[in-house]
Amino acid sequence: MKMVSEAQRQHAEAMLEGAAPVIELLGVSRVYPSRSGVVHALNDASFTIGASEWVAITGPSGSGKSTLVNLLGCLDTPTAGTLRIDGTEVHTMGGGDLDRFRADKVGFIFQQFHLIPYLSALENVMLAQYFHSMTNESDARAALDRVGLSHRAEHLPSELSGGEQQRVCIARALINDPPILLADEPTGNLDAANQRIVAEILAELHANGHTIVMVTHDPEMAALAQRKIALSHGKVFCHPVSNVVKLSQ
Amino acid sequence: MFLRMLGESFVRQRRRKLLAGLAILLGTTAVTAMLALATTIGDRIHRELAVYGANITVYPKADTLDVKIGGQTLRPTTGGVYLHASDLEKLHGIFWANNITGLSPELDSSISLGKLDSVPPSPVPAAGFWFQHNFGDAKVKLITGATQLHPWWKLQGSAPQGSGQIVLGATLAKSLKVGIGDRLMVLGVSDVADPVTVTGILTTGDATEAKAIFELSTLQQYADLPDAVSRVDVSARTKPEDAFARKDPDTLSPKQRDLWYCRPYANSIAYQIREAIPGAAAEQVRQVEQSEGTILERISGLMWLVSAAAMLAAAVAVSAAMATAVLERRTEIGLMRSLGASKVRIASLFYSEAGLLALLGGIVGYGIGSLLAALLTARIFGEQSGITLRVAMAHAFNPALLPVVLGIALLVAIAGSTASIRSALRMDPSAVLRNNA
Repeated sequence: MKMVSEAQRQHAEAMLEGAAPVIELLGVSRVYPSRSGVVHALNDASFTIGASEWVAITGPSGSGKSTLVNLLGCLDTPTAGTLRIDGTEVHTMGGGDLDRFRADKVGFIFQQFHLIPYLSALENVMLAQYFHSMTNESDARAALDRVGLSHRAEHLPSELSGGEQQRVCIARALINDPPILLADEPTGNLDAANQRIVAEILAELHANGHTIVMVTHDPEMAALAQRKIALSHGKVFCHPVSNVVKLSQ
Repeated sequence: MFLRMLGESFVRQRRRKLLAGLAILLGTTAVTAMLALATTIGDRIHRELAVYGANITVYPKADTLDVKIGGQTLRPTTGGVYLHASDLEKLHGIFWANNITGLSPELDSSISLGKLDSVPPSPVPAAGFWFQHNFGDAKVKLITGATQLHPWWKLQGSAPQGSGQIVLGATLAKSLKVGIGDRLMVLGVSDVADPVTVTGILTTGDATEAKAIFELSTLQQYADLPDAVSRVDVSARTKPEDAFARKDPDTLSPKQRDLWYCRPYANSIAYQIREAIPGAAAEQVRQVEQSEGTILERISGLMWLVSAAAMLAAAVAVSAAMATAVLERRTEIGLMRSLGASKVRIASLFYSEAGLLALLGGIVGYGIGSLLAALLTARIFGEQSGITLRVAMAHAFNPALLPVVLGIALLVAIAGSTASIRSALRMDPSAVLRNNA
């Protein structure tokens, strides 16, 4: 897979080595009440993710992946521990502050794309601008151009292929220039050809300095990441394996 | 972007929106019809009940022992205390002057009456009234008199127009064996004989049937009681009597007294009449007033009940429709949340949609409700009350009701949507986005 240039790879490695952590978890737990007591969806998780790092989160169903994605995406807050994102202690935030923070710091890429069916590709991208600050059509067009879809800007999601829809989703995630891209099974709904296109775009984004946290079941996609964080029964197992070299092979 | 999303999402899920809109439309139709009826029904019922006579009676204060049995005054007709007819003009100056819809002053006296050939004429009781009297002023036109205030009277022939004309009570006409067109001799207190023509025979069902009826000023002349009036019957548009209406204004605090004074209770209008006419006592005629109050209270209660039931049903229907609509769009809500939209911002989108639906349903409901109110008014009160469909339409389409109806429609739409919107916003966006393709 020849996805990034040597210069880009070196740039990414350099950033990783000297980077301050953009995500820090220290003894983070998320407990849900249940009829039989409590469920420890995430138990005492501690790890960091550096700026410009590409991390894959893996684990079987019920391992706590969704809970971790919710916490990293600021859709939920931990019941215990410290969660720091981009230097801000997220676990102390709530309500509107958390919404604002999420809009600023996290770009979501979904398995099922989740494009608004009655808005065009361009408008779907502008929707993220609208909830962040103000819409800007030329920026939105540039984001679509970045994923190679400027010619499909006026098309409705139903007129786009799965791969194209996922690229619109990536453009939407990028439009507000968030420091973290949170990809939840980004290729889970795509055929091989489109998987490759999306993987290339993610690799390019990583090479350009984006921090990517990717939940995946796909070993090939996981292998593209620099590091795996495996989850089992709410417990975290970190594998400090750098795959940057593999990307260029 | 907001308007684009609002517009696009408004035209989607047409069946659900149609159902919710229809519920709002039916609810506002019922409320508009009820409100339009309620605003006009008081006036209509007052007019209907006016057939039972005046609702306020005014008499001289020093004459409080005026005993009437079967309409016959038992106090002596001479030496009594009288009101001044000219003082009645002062009623134009009272706070609720415009609510006075009819006025009938009456002078009770006696004259001697006989056929031209009978010697001497025998004394008979007499009464003087206004007939078709212009009591209006520069602002209000009001033609009033005894026949308006006593709609059950049956006058054969025509009312007396002035001196030289007389109407006989049916009993008196029978005893004198005279009919319309016959000429009679009248002797007043001056003992000057005046020939008069019988212009009508009056059937009243009470003691008035035994009287000789004159135009008020004519009898004042015969009785030598210029400007005198024994009593005045007043018909006024009033607010139904309630506990506050029965309070004595002189025992109330100044603020409460002002409030009492400025409400069109029969009692407060009577109070203002007492203030305006020197030496007058004025009281509400309880039977008519209480009937009016009871009827209006019951009708008003029924209308509120129907309106509340209609709006409750609309709110339940809106709630059901919105619950399904919001549930179908939970992925969209989850996406907006993940993009950083605050709950308030998402809620405002759904509330705006519900509001738009409420406005559309409310406007159409207002139109249909007003039409329904017009049809009901024309049907209930009928043309015998002078309420043609055109008149009813003019009254029913009340622009002041539109904002009220739209406000109620908005409240219902918002109340009906709140539960679904709140539950949608409580959903875990991540779970929703993961589970929905």
